[in-house]
Amino acid sequence: MKTNHMLKSYISLLIVLTCSFSFATNNKQQNDTLNKFGIRAGIDIQKIIRSATNKEYNGLSINADIRIKKLLYISSEIGNEEKMTNTDYIRSTSKGNYIKVGTKFKLNKNLKGNQNLTYSGANLGYSSFNQTINSYTIYNENNSIWGISTINNPLYSPDLNALWFELIFGLKTEIFNNLFLGLEIQLKNILSETKGNQITNFYIPGFNRTFDGSSIGAGFSYTISYLIPVVKK
Amino acid sequence: MNSRYWIVPIIFALLTCESDDICPESTQTTPRIVITFYDINNPNEKKNVESLGIYTVNNGQINIIEGFEGINTDSIAIPLRDDELESNFKFSKDFSDATVIPSGQSNHVYINYDINGVFVSRACGFINNYNLSLALPYDPADASDPTSWISDIIILNDSITNENQSHVKILH
Repeated sequence: MKTNHMLKSYISLLIVLTCSFSFATNNKQQNDTLNKFGIRAGIDIQKIIRSATNKEYNGLSINADIRIKKLLYISSEIGNEEKMTNTDYIRSTSKGNYIKVGTKFKLNKNLKGNQNLTYSGANLGYSSFNQTINSYTIYNENNSIWGISTINNPLYSPDLNALWFELIFGLKTEIFNNLFLGLEIQLKNILSETKGNQITNFYIPGFNRTFDGSSIGAGFSYTISYLIPVVKK
Repeated sequence: MNSRYWIVPIIFALLTCESDDICPESTQTTPRIVITFYDINNPNEKKNVESLGIYTVNNGQINIIEGFEGINTDSIAIPLRDDELESNFKFSKDFSDATVIPSGQSNHVYINYDINGVFVSRACGFINNYNLSLALPYDPADASDPTSWISDIIILNDSITNENQSHVKILH
């Protein structure tokens, strides 16, 4: 019941934000204000919604960026995720922390007073996590003869880590003064990872799910952030 | 900036929704044990078994294995038990009447082994490989069960990781 109520609140919030977003984008301000430099800090609301709606997921992340040049930002994100992955043959849980550090290049030109941002950039991500195979069913096409064998002894793999590179593309729209709604998509590639008991890492916190025979991954975020103006020039 | 941009994350969200991981049929599955039959009088010469029927023995229950209901062959592949470290079979020569259990001339086959789980892939999970430790032409738990038509069982390759070679040789 509680989750249901939370879910409703999130959805209402989402609708309000979405409406404000379209309103803000269609209503270009012409006021003569200056480019703001400062720290923008935010949270990923997609993770919060997913945590509330999906029993197999729990996650939270905060992010920040600093504008260091007119068109250049340095950004970082830290987070924690726990995700269950269930296939026909395996029930597993991955859990851990991650950090991303990167740069963003501003692609758009703004009318004066408009702080909307379209950007592209790159991140390096690092995750420290563990993975537990809670149970698994032996893949045996001939199991009609002796029966299906499922092993319920958990296989625990601690101290795993992964390093990846990601290309990002995103938008940040100012919905209220200094308050931004952001969308970002990420295309990722694993540079290195450790595996426990030679088992695939089914989900890497910060990276997202993995694919058989490929180091490529993808993800997206939906953030709300606030710009704390430090320098105006 | 335009509201059309909303299309991008929506499509992306749909694409990244988790699809079911499906195990492709071409994946190497848990291997069966490959058994070849040789002539007791000429141990390097393969010899067909006439009308071979194979049963599994599971807690006193005897069940015919589909596909082994009276075949003439010198080589077979049958699955081992994954939930125990031993498998019991009855090999019947001159199998004829499926309503009689076991039919024909029946000989117990006992196989003892270790199981190693081997991770294959995200979609297929684990398969088992086996390490043979003992193969007997009689039931070690039943002293009153002598050998019948099988003279001897010899382990050729104790490691069962595929079905490309013979693991056990039966002399008859």
